[in-house]
Amino acid sequence: MMNYPLLFTLSTIGISETSYLIRKRIASEKPICPIGEGCALVLTSRYNKFFIVPNDVLGLLFYIVISLISSFLVIGVGPLIFLDFVFKFSIAAGSLLSLFFTYLQWLVIRAWCFWCLMSAFTIWVMGVIILISAIN
Amino acid sequence: MKKSSFHFLRVGLAITFLWIGVLIFQNPAAWGGYLQPWAMGLLPIPLAQAMVGTAILDIVIGALLLVDILTWLAALVGTIHLAIVLVVSGITEVTVRDVGLLTGAVALMIDSLPQSIINKTKFKNFYEK
Repeated sequence: MMNYPLLFTLSTIGISETSYLIRKRIASEKPICPIGEGCALVLTSRYNKFFIVPNDVLGLLFYIVISLISSFLVIGVGPLIFLDFVFKFSIAAGSLLSLFFTYLQWLVIRAWCFWCLMSAFTIWVMGVIILISAIN
Repeated sequence: MKKSSFHFLRVGLAITFLWIGVLIFQNPAAWGGYLQPWAMGLLPIPLAQAMVGTAILDIVIGALLLVDILTWLAALVGTIHLAIVLVVSGITEVTVRDVGLLTGAVALMIDSLPQSIINKTKFKNFYEK
């Protein structure tokens, strides 16, 4: 049995985090960097966009989709098998993309961003939950 | 309230409101069972419809709290909503949980009220202390 409450909770934390980053970017303010000092450096680097879409917007859309799909799966509406596939595929793709962004911070930008790492960790925990559910 | 503790409380309450909204959507009739018989008699619409309305309200409150937009209004409506829940569901084994949520919502509302509204209220001195 998939732990949808936990997956939903993680996705809402992601929504809160990315909406904070978007608001700070629009207001041209530096976000608070609770650990380390590399947030501004990473968030303003040339890698802060995926084509023309800022990474924070991409993250927000990802978390909204994940929270909506997990809600639909719990309520039991829509094409459930298709939604379940999209849900798992999105988290797998998100995990890989987070791995790439973590690599960029580590070896290319050479600075760590608390919010980016928190987002990556959130997505990886989602992936671990899905893997554990698949094993059980 | 410290800024960080405010945000922890805001996001925590947001998740609670959102998930309760989803669960009510999943089974509105079952959640309607928590209502006291006298409260059911007061409903002008069928119970299931009233519960769907409650679910929508919960989700809207949760979404506003989550993205930190109109937080004071969401906390105010959430406070009123939780107070009504306490009244219409009576004293049960989970009442203390609702009291905790209500207190959290009140704390958020007090801390996020815009200065323009505080100035219009009679509680201005309360905020200055």
